[in-house]
Amino acid sequence: MTRLEKIKYKPVPVRELLIKMKDLSELMIDLAYSAALFNSRPLAEEVIELEKQVDTLAYQLDMSAMLAARDAKDAESLVGVTVVAAATDKISDAAGDIATIVLREIGIHPIVIKAFKKMEEQLTKVETKPNSVLVGKRLAELELAAKMGVDIIAIRRDKECIVNPKENEMIKKGDIITARGAPRGVEGFEKLAEGIVQKLES
Amino acid sequence: MATEESFKRIIDMLVELKDTSELMMDLAYSSILYNSKELAQEVHVLEEHMDNLHTEFELLVLARCIKPEESKHFLGLIRLGVVTEKIADAAAQIADVVLRGLEPHPVLKLAIKEAEETVTHVHVSEKSALAGKSLQEAQVHEETGMWVLAVKRGDKWIRPKPDTIIEAGDLLIASGYTEGEEDLKKLASNERHKHHESKL
Repeated sequence: MTRLEKIKYKPVPVRELLIKMKDLSELMIDLAYSAALFNSRPLAEEVIELEKQVDTLAYQLDMSAMLAARDAKDAESLVGVTVVAAATDKISDAAGDIATIVLREIGIHPIVIKAFKKMEEQLTKVETKPNSVLVGKRLAELELAAKMGVDIIAIRRDKECIVNPKENEMIKKGDIITARGAPRGVEGFEKLAEGIVQKLES
Repeated sequence: MATEESFKRIIDMLVELKDTSELMMDLAYSSILYNSKELAQEVHVLEEHMDNLHTEFELLVLARCIKPEESKHFLGLIRLGVVTEKIADAAAQIADVVLRGLEPHPVLKLAIKEAEETVTHVHVSEKSALAGKSLQEAQVHEETGMWVLAVKRGDKWIRPKPDTIIEAGDLLIASGYTEGEEDLKKLASNERHKHHESKL
């Protein structure tokens, strides 16, 4: 039997939920195409994980929107919000479909990969090991963009996903980090996160 | 059509499907932000274009004599095509809110503004410094911080590439920070000299 998480109402503002859904759906599309092009299972799995989060957010948003309507006029105005939220949910499903191409080992024709390689940037997903030099540091002190041309685009911690984390965000052990950059930079970043390389060179 | 040629066409179409679906999302969110039926209408124009393109794409894939060992890879292609279509549908769904005359809720506009940058459109005048230049030469992003999302020329939508030549009369749709909007407007009108002054 399929087991799905029970969803309870949470007093979270509609605006916050919608921003989260929009950000996540856009991140997922990027991740999914990247997963397909580089035939990366970890990225594809991340997409599936985020899809579950978006599903949950969609329920919560609908509940909050229902509670926010006091009269017919409110309902007319709020229906657009739920329609847009449903569209972001659809996009996250679409990203999930791309991830499935990878997870079912269907694959994409190699020539397509070449054609899409104008995307010189690569995405990666990596979990920070306790001994990684990244742990306990804020993004601002790491200066990953300047030092290795790598951008952290999302951090998943427990059940939270922080999209486009701010400069003062601190990396913790066990964080699932999604990062973007040129292939060499990305490779270097993975080694730092896994604690294989201990020195952050500039 | 020669095999290689048809293959190249398939790939080009897939790239166009992907780019168009993403452009549609940008335009759809912009239509909400501006409560603009015109932009919402453009999303629908693009959706029709997507439908045609997608059908042609699928026919072209099916017309190939696919060897059994290649079949999975071509299935992957077809599925990617379906995904772009799904994204296009989602964009149309968003644009429909505007076309149905539902005044977008303030929360919606706030969310789009906070999650993303602003979107604007400008007409390129004949005297503009942009006219006759390729996007790469025009350095729109470097000068204004705005990214050109789309170029509308007559009835045709062009997804801009670096070598796309901007012509007088073009309508440029661009996204970026609000500060860049004024600079872009100047650039697209006739204030040729402001083009460089804006950097000072």
